[in-house]
Parts: sequence; C-alpha cells; structure tokens
Amino acid sequence: MSKESPIFVENLCRKFGALSAVNNINLEVTAGQIFGFLGPNGAGKSTTVRMLTTLMTPTSGRARVAGYDVVTEADMVRRSIGVALQDAAIDPIMTGRELLKLQAVLHGVTRKRSKIKSEELLERVGLKGASDKRVGQYSGGMRRRLDLAMSLIHEPTVLFLDEPTTGLDPTSRSALWDEVRRLNKELGTTVLLTTQYLEEADQLADRIAIIDGGSIVREGKPETLKEAVGDPTIRIEVGEENVEAAALALMALGPRRPSLQGRIALGLKGGGENMAAVVRALDDAGIQISHIELDPPSLEDVFAEATGRRLEGSQKGGNE
Amino acid sequence: MFLPKRLAAGLKARKRVVMSSAQIKAVAARSVRGVIRQPQAWVPSLAFPLFFTALSSAAFEKTRAIPGFPEVSSFVAFLLAATILQGVMFGSTSAGTDVAIDIESGFFDRFLASPISRLALVFGRLAGTILLAAIQALLFIIILMCFGATMKGGIPGLAVTLLVAGLLGGAVGAFAVTVGLRTGSVEAVNGFFPIFFALVFLSSAFFPPQISGGWFEVVAGVNPLSTMVDGMRHLHIVGWDFSKAASAVVVSAVLFFVFVGTSLVALSLRIKR
Repeated sequence: MSKESPIFVENLCRKFGALSAVNNINLEVTAGQIFGFLGPNGAGKSTTVRMLTTLMTPTSGRARVAGYDVVTEADMVRRSIGVALQDAAIDPIMTGRELLKLQAVLHGVTRKRSKIKSEELLERVGLKGASDKRVGQYSGGMRRRLDLAMSLIHEPTVLFLDEPTTGLDPTSRSALWDEVRRLNKELGTTVLLTTQYLEEADQLADRIAIIDGGSIVREGKPETLKEAVGDPTIRIEVGEENVEAAALALMALGPRRPSLQGRIALGLKGGGENMAAVVRALDDAGIQISHIELDPPSLEDVFAEATGRRLEGSQKGGNE
Repeated sequence: MFLPKRLAAGLKARKRVVMSSAQIKAVAARSVRGVIRQPQAWVPSLAFPLFFTALSSAAFEKTRAIPGFPEVSSFVAFLLAATILQGVMFGSTSAGTDVAIDIESGFFDRFLASPISRLALVFGRLAGTILLAAIQALLFIIILMCFGATMKGGIPGLAVTLLVAGLLGGAVGAFAVTVGLRTGSVEAVNGFFPIFFALVFLSSAFFPPQISGGWFEVVAGVNPLSTMVDGMRHLHIVGWDFSKAASAVVVSAVLFFVFVGTSLVALSLRIKR
C-alpha cells in the first residue's frame, strides 16, 4: 500500500456510542481509478465518505486523501477534493450559474477562471440552456448533473460521489454514468462512488469494495470477484409452499444461495450441463416449475456469497 | 533566508484574508438574494409592523394628551422606533431559519466540505442580515414619514437609527443562527418568535412606561430594547443627542457581540466532527 495514493485508508473506525458504524476498514484507491463502494443502506458507506471528506473525524485509524491526512490536514484535503453528497443538496432559490459561482468562490477560484470553467462545465453536463433558471425548477437528473458540475469547478484530483444516482430514472442514471466515465477518462480524476446498485458498481467501477455492517467483506476487480464465486446461479420459481421441498431435492446439485420469496437459488455445480438434472430432480419430487433461469456469476452473487443476503432493491434480490 | 520566509508567510496570510472576505461577500450575497427571492420571508416583517402601527396610531392617538407623554407631533412619530424594532427583530430571525434549512437539506455540509473559512459561514450570513435590517429600517422611515413621522436628529439621527437597526438585526440574526446551528431545526428557531414578541411589548416601544408605572415600568426599565427605542425615538422626535445615540448604539453593539459569540460557539460545536 502506498501512502501517496489518492485515497489511502488504514484501520479506519467510527463509533457512535456503542455502535460501530465503520469497523477497521483498509483500502487504497490508485490514481485515475473509479472505485465503487457497494453496500446496503446503513452499511457504513456514507460514514466512510464523510470521514474521507473531513465532515467527520474517525474514532481511530487514519486516512489520507490526495496525499493529506483527513484529520491533521483537513483544509488541504478540502482544497483537493470534489464532493457530491447524497440527495444533491442544492439551494433551490439560486440558479445553476450562481451556484457554480458560489462554489468557485468557496474554493478560491479566480473570477476569470470561474467564468471559463462554469461555461465549460455547464456545457459538459448539458445544463447551459437551464443555467439561469432557479434550481427549484430542475428535475432530479438535472440537479444531480449540476451537483456533479459544482464538485468539479475547482478541478479536484479526487472526486467523491455519494449515491449519485439514487432516485433517478434509468435514462438520467445512464447519462450520469456516461459523464462520470468521460471525466475520469478525459481528466484522469480519481473517483470514489458509493452505491447500493449492483449494476452501477458493475458498469462504472474499476475496483469495488463490498461493505456490510461497517466492515469490508470483499474487495477487488468486479471480474475477479465474480470469477471467485465460481458456479452460475440457477433460480427456479416453485411457489412458496414448495421451496423447502425443492431445496431438499436439489441439495446434491449445489449450495443454496439467497433468493426472492417463492424461489430457490443454487450455485449450480457444473453449470449449464446440469440444468437437465435440476429439472429431473424437481420433477421426481413432484414440484412444478413456474420459471427457471441460469445466470453467470454477478456482483449480486458476490454480495450474496459474502453476506449471506441479497442486496435490498437488487433486480433479482430480496432478503431470504 | 529569514526575510523571504516572513514574506511568504505574509503573502499567504494576505491571500487567506482576501479569500475569506470574498467568501463572506459570497455568503452574504446568497443570504440577501435568498430573502429577496422569497417574499414570504420579508413581506410579513414589513407589512405586520406597519399594520400594527396604523392600528395603534388610530386607537391611541389621544393618549398623547396624557400628562407625561412625550411631546410629539403624532402617534406615528412616537411609534417609528417601535416599528423599526418590531420589523427588524421579526425579519432577522430568517438568518437562523435559513441556517437550519441548510443543515436539514445538507447544503451546510457542502460548505463544510469546502475550504471556506469557518468564520465566513457566520459572518457572511450576518452581513446579509445587517444589510437587510438597515434597508428595512430605511423603508419604515420613508413610509412613516409620509404619515407624520419625523427625523429631528437629521442625517446623524438617520445614520444612528440605521446603525442601531443593523446591529439589532445582526444580534437577533446571530441569536437565531445560534439556535439554528445547535438544533438544525427550523421549528426550533421559529419557536423563539413569541419570546421576541413579548420582549418588544415589555419595552418602551409602544407606550411610555413611566405613565403606566408599576411592574411594567420596572420590566421595561431593565429591558435593553427600551434603551435602543428611547435612543432612536429621541433622535426622531426631539433632535440630536450624543448620549442618547451612544446608549442605543452601545446596547445594540453589546447584544450583537454577545450573540455573535454564542453563534461562533454553536458553530464550533456543530463542526466538531
């Protein structure tokens, strides 16, 4: 691990009374990387981001961002980072252009530079036409894009995006992903994004860490993590009353994985070649199949394997 | 070797001061813009005191004949200081509600995650409040002078009135900011509104306490708002008097600095991460 990495975290902990919100986290994000911090609500993602963005002090451990210590060199950290926090907290009374100007002043950007940069960013995020409208009239997607532009006005070396697409429609979400990819590619900005969407982490991140209960339970490249899961997941809809009987019938074919109610999921040993064996076993047990599908290992499976649960809100998920 | 080091430190300090003043200006501009763009934030604090003054002057015009009542051309002239006090006190609480809204919405975190001088967060907000209070006072003076109010203290009297209004606005704003920072709740800030209302009525704002006598005279006598009202009123209806002007300025300045102090303590507690 190199302390000069844009983000370097060592044994980071944050407690609220007896509750340990973040527990001994270690991670390193290298320059130019998009790092996905994936986990359910309350897992500790936002608390970690708040510590890394100097909004909260760690109870123990240390963290360096852009080469500066988040506790002893907090001001230097703030000068080096861009932050778009959850829910796009933007003053609805101001216009997009005014907010960009305010943000530029807060970061000590010169008036001339601020003007050039504002125009460039408004163009980049597609808000030039709406820049003189009050933010209260913006849609959720427009607010997020403005939030992103605001976090970039001072050309930060590290960008923190806390659940940047929560609450957005699929089109706006996809547009924001494109923008994050583009600025990472063109400007080389290091990005740490937190998300509860598996697809978002899969689409955007070069590396991901899965956090659950305040601890990192898996970390690595998405492909490597998926490969480590091994067998594909077979999901069979059998009706709630048949789930246990189906589990018994399929016991020999692979380990059970968390799934939605009324379904059974297995890590199918041998993959697609054993599909027929599954159908036969259920037929022999007199269990009718309503729906069956076989998926290659996904981040959803990685999460399920690491935590024993499905990620709430994931497409095929739900808690068992 | 020694000189360049000092020079570098001096330049760094100068840069910091320039950046802080730009930040204060930006936060103040946001504060003023926010008020102007939300009529609901300033119309009541402008209209209600005027309405109350119109009502009181119609109902109590004849009380001017009571022995001991200050010699004054109209009850409106007597009420000018009270109108300013009332309007500024009610209007300036918006500094606290705006801070609470920023905290509730998460916008305050945006400030904290930037390298803004922490003092600029409070001073910028208060600079906007002071400016608005002075403008509000000027509007009251212009409007009420059309209905019989006077400014016998002339330009110096006007300047002191605006200064006292600004300092009082700053003091009330700083108090509201203190509550907003401590609680992060708009309701909590608004909860102090009845207390301000009571404080105005328990002062010499609407009636000379020496005529009422009894407990009211005692309470109004120790109420610092009475010193401000009496000072301003003297400048409005009698003429220039240095000691009266100084008393009003000193009391409003003391209140201002006390509450700026509490707001800074509240800020340090809020950002204690």
